[in-house]
Amino acid sequence: MNFEACFRFLAERLREEIIVTSAGNCSELWWELTRESERVFYLEASMSLASLFAAGIALGSPQRTIVALSGDGAFCMNPGMLMVERQLALPNLKHFVLANGCYGSTNELPFPQTTDYAAMARAAGSERVYDFATLEGLAQALDEILAVPGYVFSVLHVEPLGRRVHSPPLDGPEVKFRFGRYLERTGGPKIFDVPL
Amino acid sequence: MEADNPVAARIVEAAAACGISLVASLPDGWITPLITRFAADDRFRHVAVNREESAIGLCSGAFFSGIGAFALMGASGFLTCIYAITKINYTYQIPLLIGITLRGRPGDAAKFHQSNGLYLEPVMQAIDIPFVAIERGADIARLATAYKHSRVLSRPVVVGFTREMLRGEA
Repeated sequence: MNFEACFRFLAERLREEIIVTSAGNCSELWWELTRESERVFYLEASMSLASLFAAGIALGSPQRTIVALSGDGAFCMNPGMLMVERQLALPNLKHFVLANGCYGSTNELPFPQTTDYAAMARAAGSERVYDFATLEGLAQALDEILAVPGYVFSVLHVEPLGRRVHSPPLDGPEVKFRFGRYLERTGGPKIFDVPL
Repeated sequence: MEADNPVAARIVEAAAACGISLVASLPDGWITPLITRFAADDRFRHVAVNREESAIGLCSGAFFSGIGAFALMGASGFLTCIYAITKINYTYQIPLLIGITLRGRPGDAAKFHQSNGLYLEPVMQAIDIPFVAIERGADIARLATAYKHSRVLSRPVVVGFTREMLRGEA
């Protein structure tokens, strides 16, 4: 499916969820399409840990749904995350891997895409695993993915963007405070204003 | 360090007193009884991670849900975390308490850990990560100081456990 169309669709449907994006195209494209800077943590500085970072948020935020958007390049750096996510089995964590078969933000340099990531998740013991090659398929299942409690791992097969997109113009501490203050302001626990 | 060594219990109590409720670990032989004790204690959610970097990611995210977290690992594992620490915790200024073993010091008979004795502390100095040594039982109280310092500094702080302390010999 078309990467941009996929993200436009997700941006339209993910209105209440907390979102963590991995380095590269996931952060860049989400920023370009939404300009959101509060309920999104752009984990641009690190590959491969977006879903576990999201899991940490989900652990203490059972009333929220946390969505991790990772690239397949990032996923391949730490596929063992699947075992940890299965162990955690967080009902409010939804992990999407955007599989475009390349390192999108580094000139779309391709890497061999011969691995069935969904099968890996099933082999790790996850029960709710999805694999979508079309936007229509994703559209049919997204409500269930989000509404039914339970950890979900989902692969979204997308085409390379074919163009450069730019990083969010946000420094790390700005991302931290915008995101954290949003969580505090919308009913989350105190993050910054705690006695030391 | 035997499983019933009271040192592990003291470290666990110190962690609980700090407000830590999430422990993400990957074992080193010196700290397996400590990890076992954390895992058995209902005050903590213990997560056995696949690699040490995953502990950094998980615990860093937990900061945003108000959870006190402790990433526990061996010295070798810590050295694999430089990317995660510098890119996540330094870039976004996210505090984190990291516990490591001080492998490779004189007295450690494991030849494969001698590189830690040579390079662990210089690497920590190179990335300017505050380091608190826990070398005697009385030092366990410094865990709270390190945890608080991490919060004040908005960066990670490392506490390092010696074998003698973990065995209750110092």
